Amino acid sequence: MTTMNTGLLLPRRKLLAGAAAVAAAPLAAPHIARAADPIKIGLLLAKTGQIAGQTEYLANGSFLALEQRNNTIMGQPAELVWLDEPSPQAATQNMQKLVQENKVCAVLGGSLSSNALAEEATAAQLKIPFVCDNAAATEISGKNCNRYTFRLNTPVAVQSRMLAPFALSYGKKWYHITASYAFGQDILRSSRALLKAAGGTEVGSDEVPLNTADFSSFILKIRQAKPDVVVGGLSAGDLSTFLKQWNELGMKGTIPFVEIAIGDTDIWAVGPEAATGTFTKMWEHSNRDNPPEEKAFAAAYLKKYGKPAADKAWMGWITARSLFESIDAAKSLDGMAIVEGLEAWKAPAGDASYSYRKFDHQMLARNLAVSVKPKITDKWDYFDVKATLPENPADIDKVFGTEEEIGCKMG
Amino acid sequence: MLEILLSQVVSGLVLGGLYVLIAIGLSIVFGLLGIVNFAHGAFFTLGAYLALTLYQYFGWPAVIFSPILVGAIGMVAERLLISRLYNKEPLISLIVTFALALLIEASVRLIYGGIGQPFSPPPLLSGFLIWGPVLITKYRFAVLLTTAALLLGLWLFLEKTPFGRILRAGSRDPEMVGLLGINLPRVLTWVFGLGCAISGIAGVLAAPLWTITPAMATNAIMPAFVVVAIGGLGSFAGAVIAGLLVGVVIALTIQFYPPASGAVMYIFMAMMLLLRPRGLLGERWERFE
Repeated sequence: MTTMNTGLLLPRRKLLAGAAAVAAAPLAAPHIARAADPIKIGLLLAKTGQIAGQTEYLANGSFLALEQRNNTIMGQPAELVWLDEPSPQAATQNMQKLVQENKVCAVLGGSLSSNALAEEATAAQLKIPFVCDNAAATEISGKNCNRYTFRLNTPVAVQSRMLAPFALSYGKKWYHITASYAFGQDILRSSRALLKAAGGTEVGSDEVPLNTADFSSFILKIRQAKPDVVVGGLSAGDLSTFLKQWNELGMKGTIPFVEIAIGDTDIWAVGPEAATGTFTKMWEHSNRDNPPEEKAFAAAYLKKYGKPAADKAWMGWITARSLFESIDAAKSLDGMAIVEGLEAWKAPAGDASYSYRKFDHQMLARNLAVSVKPKITDKWDYFDVKATLPENPADIDKVFGTEEEIGCKMG
Repeated sequence: MLEILLSQVVSGLVLGGLYVLIAIGLSIVFGLLGIVNFAHGAFFTLGAYLALTLYQYFGWPAVIFSPILVGAIGMVAERLLISRLYNKEPLISLIVTFALALLIEASVRLIYGGIGQPFSPPPLLSGFLIWGPVLITKYRFAVLLTTAALLLGLWLFLEKTPFGRILRAGSRDPEMVGLLGINLPRVLTWVFGLGCAISGIAGVLAAPLWTITPAMATNAIMPAFVVVAIGGLGSFAGAVIAGLLVGVVIALTIQFYPPASGAVMYIFMAMMLLLRPRGLLGERWERFE
């Protein structure tokens, strides 16, 4: 027994020393350990609340973008870490958690303007690249801009300018019904300025608290005011509820309704009987003019999830793609290197291209003007594309505003 | 002006009627079981989703089975979970029912997805009724009538039937009811099921008006708590009066100062709690004091 033990086994002291050396190996050679760890990207999107219907698609699009790259960035395994953004305060806390505990190298997200405004300030403070995929408040890439924040959605002021000709085609007596938070207040400001410039009259205006369940009292006021058109500024679930009750109270077809930045999920929740209106949006899955990459994305989404890609899925996909490709180009996880990568990123989009503008980090992408079809036969296909805006891709920089008009000073 | 004010009051009564239905279930469960049920709004959501599913598979008449199913789910929840909370610290029941609410919402999200589901009023109830200056849609009028009939039926049940008398006695002195040979645990299971079923009815009625989403309970549970607090915990009549008042006050606030329409019920509640902490018709309950 004794002979066998001494002949075949290491002395106990050497064994313990060897085990300790193995355990301490990652500390002695951290670069080897980091190479094996996945690259982490933060995803900061609401998991509950009235915007959750949209964020489900934003997240799906981002996950699909990573999957299409075999879950790798710079040739290394990569993963998305998704935390909630239930309120601006909690969103900033979760952004800190993503950076400090989860060690992410960049963050995608910002489903509501109020959250995104808080998140972009935190991103600058933490020096972490933040690509905002949904929020539309003008200030995000305007006076609140910073070097670390990039934004996809077309600002409210620009979308309002794009929609104004459609609203004016119905008449110059407008009624505003807008959400009483950053997004709605921004729409109200922009729309009032456009109406004034066109020599029109505001016959009424209501600011609506978030998560309003019953719009009948607002609709009764609109009915009494008899406007030529109602300009909306409601978001997500609130817009769906409003349109349902607009139809229920017999207003569909009597007074036109227009609004910027509708999401497919908002109109799918309304139903074919009640859906109505003219809107701006960034992408439409059934648009025949989509470039080949986007048609391939739509097909991949349909295959994976069994239903068509909503516009929000595309928004999640294109922002994630821009970030992943920028990290590839930067060949580094350093925050400033990724920022420079995003500033230089460019992707083809049919006869135009996508890129973030250097001076305000706003993505230059054309929008669509869409109207609800007179008869809806497919529960996923509600819109006729009326126009691509601006019609001439060469005008895009002008339409998005000059450096002086935007007021972004990155410092 | 009178025309729009009258229409706003009627609109407020419909909204208030829905609040009453949601609040009544909450009030009954608190009054008889002593449980502040945070999952009450989740049963409202279940009512809406089950109505949608039953409608899709079997048509409109099947929708009436939705509250029955919600009540049955509530009874199962009471047997498995809620019954273990009786005579425990109120904080424990708050935490457990909050967890139950999250569980139900997550389950709904898992089954139906996160996006809103379209659902419109039945074709039979489309169109308007116009009486002089007052305009109301047929569906909203039907909601108002259904709510009134339900409340009357519920009041008769609680006041005039032997089972109702047992419930009321059990809420005041459960020990004495038990000593009289009545199987109180079984009664409590039925009471919890009844509260959930009433919440389910509110969900069914609200489904064609509101957007059906897993988070729709948010729009139901807070007003329900406010109505119960204003009306007086456990008071049937108090909940009815408070619910209708809250609905009308919200509608009139929308007419005159819309940005405050979301906050006005909380201001109303704060004033009530300052002036009369037990609420409008709240009584002193020895069990809870």
